[in-house]
Amino acid sequence: MSSKTHKIIFQPEGKRGEFPEGTTILDAAREVGVDIEAICGGKLTCGKCQVIIEQGMENLSPIKEDEQRLLDKRKAGKNYRLACVTKFYGDVVVYVPEESRGGEQIILKEGVELSVAINPAVKKYYLELSKPHLKDDLGDLERILAALKEDYGIDNVEIDYEVLKKMPDVLRSADWKVTVSIWNDREIIDVEPGYRAENAYGLAVDIGTTTVVGYLTDLRTGEVLAIDSMMNPQVTYGEDVMSRITYAMQYDDGLEKLSQKIIDGLNKILENVCNQAGISTEEVSEMTVVGNTGMHHIFLKINPQHIAIAPYVPALHRSHDVKARDLGLNITRGGYVHVLPIEAGWVGADNVAVLIATEPYKQDEMCLVIDIGTNGEIVLGNKEKLVSCSAAAGPALEGAHIKYGMRAATGAIEKIRIDPETLEPEYKTIGDAPPRGICGSGIIDAAAELYRTGIVKKNGRFNLDLDTPRIREVDGTPEYVIAWADETSIGHDIVMTQKDIREIQLAKGAMCAGAQILMKELSVDSVDRVIVAGAFGNYIDKISALIIGLVPDVPIDRIESVGNAAGVGARIALISREKREEANEIARKVDHIKLAVHPDFEKEFSMAMYFPHMDRKRYPRHEEVLKMRS
Amino acid sequence: MVSEEKRREILEKLKNGVIEFDEDLVREAANEALEVGMDALDAIMNGLVVGMEKVGELFDKGEYFVPEVLMSADALYAGLDILKPHVRKEDIKVSGQVVIGVVEGDVHDIGKNLVKMMFEVAGFEIIDLGKDVPLEKFVEESLNSNADIVALSAMMTTTMLGIPKVIEMIRERNPKAKILIGGAPVSKDAAEKWGADGWAPDATNAVKEAIEMVKSLKKEVMG
Repeated sequence: MSSKTHKIIFQPEGKRGEFPEGTTILDAAREVGVDIEAICGGKLTCGKCQVIIEQGMENLSPIKEDEQRLLDKRKAGKNYRLACVTKFYGDVVVYVPEESRGGEQIILKEGVELSVAINPAVKKYYLELSKPHLKDDLGDLERILAALKEDYGIDNVEIDYEVLKKMPDVLRSADWKVTVSIWNDREIIDVEPGYRAENAYGLAVDIGTTTVVGYLTDLRTGEVLAIDSMMNPQVTYGEDVMSRITYAMQYDDGLEKLSQKIIDGLNKILENVCNQAGISTEEVSEMTVVGNTGMHHIFLKINPQHIAIAPYVPALHRSHDVKARDLGLNITRGGYVHVLPIEAGWVGADNVAVLIATEPYKQDEMCLVIDIGTNGEIVLGNKEKLVSCSAAAGPALEGAHIKYGMRAATGAIEKIRIDPETLEPEYKTIGDAPPRGICGSGIIDAAAELYRTGIVKKNGRFNLDLDTPRIREVDGTPEYVIAWADETSIGHDIVMTQKDIREIQLAKGAMCAGAQILMKELSVDSVDRVIVAGAFGNYIDKISALIIGLVPDVPIDRIESVGNAAGVGARIALISREKREEANEIARKVDHIKLAVHPDFEKEFSMAMYFPHMDRKRYPRHEEVLKMRS
Repeated sequence: MVSEEKRREILEKLKNGVIEFDEDLVREAANEALEVGMDALDAIMNGLVVGMEKVGELFDKGEYFVPEVLMSADALYAGLDILKPHVRKEDIKVSGQVVIGVVEGDVHDIGKNLVKMMFEVAGFEIIDLGKDVPLEKFVEESLNSNADIVALSAMMTTTMLGIPKVIEMIRERNPKAKILIGGAPVSKDAAEKWGADGWAPDATNAVKEAIEMVKSLKKEVMG
């Protein structure tokens, strides 16, 4: 060993250090804190650790055949070397190109724009072990552990029992070249033959009451490789969460049945996404799961009864990791399912996922995050403080309890405009098919337009003094005809009735009152930004939402639809351990307000049922918004 | 003594204050009534209550909806707070007693409050057990008070399961009590199956049903 040392400088960061002669560039980089990606751990397998030599090319160890082969394979340019095998014998300046840098950031751009540092819970390490012989009879596991420590500096690792059972055979069949998957730096959850370090997959799942979505994600890049969704198979036991929980309460095997349905559904999704991506389900190393508190408990086979009865206490708040095989999920045998934390009562893991995807807790601006659904979750705040509540809006805004309400499908009226002079409507249907009902966005449009044109008064009552055949009374109940029978595919008039308007008022009133009470709790008169989460939010007309007062008064361009942010949150949790921690912190930090027992709720609810609100001072931009539409 | 003209003017204010849910007007009129020496019970029964009855009618016709009724109720209570302490005990004619509450595990009480108010307006004495009420308590209170009506509600399918249990317990120990049940998840079929005397699916219909029940009870009482 020479006692001589040489300087090395890493660009573009400019980090530098002095090292003994013959140190590899990779070791030097690790020492000075420069993150170079070296998945194979210097086995000349991955070829990821390419660096460009800016100065001192002559001071390096010569290129050997293996290195040249990998450089050629990766189409490396001039002056490129692999950091893991290149030793320096004199001063060098090394440039680390973008693609070789570890700790990569990815920018998510689906509704939410967010930068996340990739640091998945499951990491894969390639090992080339020395074959045991009579003079080297170290046990298989110890051999792996020693190599992990030697090559990657990883210590204190346990092994899953199922993985332990298959390990000896895998090692021998793979000629001692294996890839080891380690979960949270502490447990070996898989040993695969050969070089598999670049094949790391996870499945992020959003279990909605109605829809279940799975995202097969590359754990190393955050890229979504395949998506599959299905109707929640539990619907046969009840449309809404409450009726499913009631089912679980009424029958001894109720919980078991409900849980099995969703597990079977998730296995189906797993199979479908893996087929799409051309991998096997056992190659999936981890799952993250989000869902409302009811879905969360049922998925985990925890009795959901206590969250459905006051004081609405969940079994746990914090995130939970459970072996996938214990739930019957067919990912890798040793793999875990990470279930995100619950805020409080009905503000569940899905809402936490929305929060880590939208990060209102990092903003200066006062943000209102709303998830419109049967149970609407609302969060208000900024980096100082966050408050949340859940508003029992009911299913009206999704088309239920509305005479001609329907799901967003072909023939659903999704957009309506009414001429204030002639009171004649214009509408657009999904697929431009003859109308057969009205879906959520159409329902909100209809309420807004009926109110804007004076057909419905601010208190929700129909104005029967207007002269148009479209306004009529049937059995004493006023209604407005949106489409005459001969235009439709159902053979009778499609109308909005007085009762429909009342249902909308109740739903809108609950959401709006929830937001207003949160604003009072934080002593603010206005919010700076409204973030609408949930797939439904993408389709809602923002002006219509403002006209009826579904959201608080904000400039129109400050309303953002972020799509299925809960799904994005689940994906983020899959690729970032920091975000998992953040989720646990946030879940405990958000102050939960119980609306039903709030002293102001009844009054706020009453006032919020008006269009846009009984207290017009809270909607100072209302006239302006009405003008925008005309 | 207050002049008939002044009396009518004050009664009109009380009535309109309730109908137009103008709490300030109601308070002003209630205080005026006391100042000029009007009979407090007269002010309540012929002013506030007449206004609330009109609200009930408007609601029945669909002119008014939940917010208006809730706001009117606030106005009514603002007047009652001022006038009630001045009513002579011997003047109070009670139509009957109602035990009312939201069942165990449930805290949604807007519907219950609406129904309660309509009973109050109709001259019933109310024993309001509030929300999240242990099932046994409905039975106990109905026995203690000798109540004519036990009214219970639940807004969630999970807590609704407590209702038939209460009905069974009451039928066993206080068979003469009439039972009115309601709440969004409670279906008419369920109400019939459980043997309730009256049923309403939501706040809207609860008011109607309460009025109906009070009417029929009055008939029964009067023969």
